[in-house]
Amino acid sequence: MTNNNVIEIQHLKKYFKEIKAVDDISFTVKKGELFAFLGLNGAGKSTTINILCGELAKDSGKIYVDGMDVDKDISRIKPQLGVVFQNSMLDSKLSVFQNLKIKAQLYDLSKEKFKENLDLLANKLEFQDILNRPLYKLSGGQRRRIDLARALIHNPQILILDEPTTGLDPKTRILVWKLLADLRKTTDLTIILTTHYMEEANEADTIVIIDSGKIVANDTPNNLKNKYANDFLKIYKFDKTLPSLLKKDKIDYTQNDKMIEIEVADMNKAKNLIVKYEKLIYDFEVLKGKMDNVFLNITGKDLKEVTL
Amino acid sequence: MKSELKKLSALINRNVKLYFKDKMTFFVSLLTPLILVVLFLTFLKGVYANTITSLLPKGIEISKSSIEAFCGGWLFSSIVAVSCVTVAFCSNIMVIDKINKSIQDLNITPVKKSTLLISYFISNFFTTFLICVIVLVISFVYLACVGFFLTFSDVLMLLISTLCMSLFGSLMSSLVGLFISSQGAQTAVSTLVSSMYGFISGAYMPISQFGVGIKDFLSFLPSTHGTILFRQYYMNGVINHLQTVDKVPSDVAEKIRLAFDGKLILFNTEIPTWALFTVLIGSCVLILGLYILFSHLSKRKHIKESIKSKNSNSF
Repeated sequence: MTNNNVIEIQHLKKYFKEIKAVDDISFTVKKGELFAFLGLNGAGKSTTINILCGELAKDSGKIYVDGMDVDKDISRIKPQLGVVFQNSMLDSKLSVFQNLKIKAQLYDLSKEKFKENLDLLANKLEFQDILNRPLYKLSGGQRRRIDLARALIHNPQILILDEPTTGLDPKTRILVWKLLADLRKTTDLTIILTTHYMEEANEADTIVIIDSGKIVANDTPNNLKNKYANDFLKIYKFDKTLPSLLKKDKIDYTQNDKMIEIEVADMNKAKNLIVKYEKLIYDFEVLKGKMDNVFLNITGKDLKEVTL
Repeated sequence: MKSELKKLSALINRNVKLYFKDKMTFFVSLLTPLILVVLFLTFLKGVYANTITSLLPKGIEISKSSIEAFCGGWLFSSIVAVSCVTVAFCSNIMVIDKINKSIQDLNITPVKKSTLLISYFISNFFTTFLICVIVLVISFVYLACVGFFLTFSDVLMLLISTLCMSLFGSLMSSLVGLFISSQGAQTAVSTLVSSMYGFISGAYMPISQFGVGIKDFLSFLPSTHGTILFRQYYMNGVINHLQTVDKVPSDVAEKIRLAFDGKLILFNTEIPTWALFTVLIGSCVLILGLYILFSHLSKRKHIKESIKSKNSNSF
């Protein structure tokens, strides 16, 4: 294990009878990295995370967190992990303050440190005014912010976000990501993210795509797009003869009132087209392929359709 | 060690708060005692008063306060005995945590599993004991209104019996709770305990009224021993009063005592009070042993799976 890797997973397997939830996967996560774990429901993301947290026993394989073996040193690993679960696991009858205080006590945080962390998180996540409100009285967005505060209250080194922004309003989503970006800058926090939101995965340093328990891709978003997704030439202003010419040249395109969109294999193809129809194209842009296309091309499954 | 104790205290604090904040759980746990009160007020009180007077020889009349105190003592001995178990089953935060998955959030903290389990048990015992002591106090207030014949020793022994029975109820609840992880199972167990426990412990009706086979079977159960303890300490004073003040002959007083489970008779032998306590405490030790064993087994299962994974790695 290199010093830069904060998590190293080797040949991890977990079967539930005949279902191969996690089937011999290996990957590493670097310190301070935003690492995205992409996959459909049941692909094996949550199983991997539960094993990493020591919540679920594995069938085989090895997991090291900061050089420590999950099998032997889980009690030393746990204080380094902060987890935001898919669904809130906090005590809905207790107030925000009570929830956070109890969790801080379980991590042996001193009163002063708890107060300091609470003030910081309440300020950044804007929940000072709801500290004494019981959780069941909070909106979904407010509750999610408290989930994040709970995961961060003990200053973990690794933050695991299991579908953290599902159902969040855009304002809260921005707030959450702003705090995470700040923490990454100031504390070298490593973030492991599982998400269905492609724009979130897009921000990651590394993306691992898991399908039916197996890793099918592991690279940076840019490399994945280059390998697996076509680019798009979008033409906003054009000569009226352009559509007929494209048809004549047997170039596939889609057109609506405002623009023509042509899917191209790479940037060079886009450049060639622009040069070829230079006099007929007045305004255009070339966009890199999307993560949705990457996912579709790798797994044959449409992330949007399945997750909606 | 100090740090683990701090965590234990934080967890107990949390569990107790959760129980008292959840009004529904609180209400459900008091449902059986409330049903008993309603049954008592509607007809049981009359039935038992008639039973007592029917046992009296002609010419002997006993005061209204003696009857009220006897019936009240019988009612509250049932209520406290049943509450020690039903409250324990309804206030088991471990089960609630497993159902709503809060336990997952606790499991990822650096708290030992044993600390977590101990916290569930202690908080369960504390809430059960607290509520039962409140019921006990209510019973003293009621008896003070209708006729108070308890001695200081009776009151003290009632408190000790409540402690032992709360311990028994909490241990039973903790043991059963290890195997419950779904709402369906929890509802089934709660319903079963709430509806059945009163019968099998002789709290709803005196076991002397059951057939011989059932009577002998029920007499073996530690729950019945617990109920009989309450019966003894609630009724000793009033039966003495019947004999000394109301001049009820001792053989008649004894008949009344037996008809209302003031003593436990097993195979024609009276079981002494020390034996009732011994059985109850022995059961607690046995259940505690099972609780530790099963908690350990579930932990071992977890470790075993990890070891299995290590072995397969070497291939």
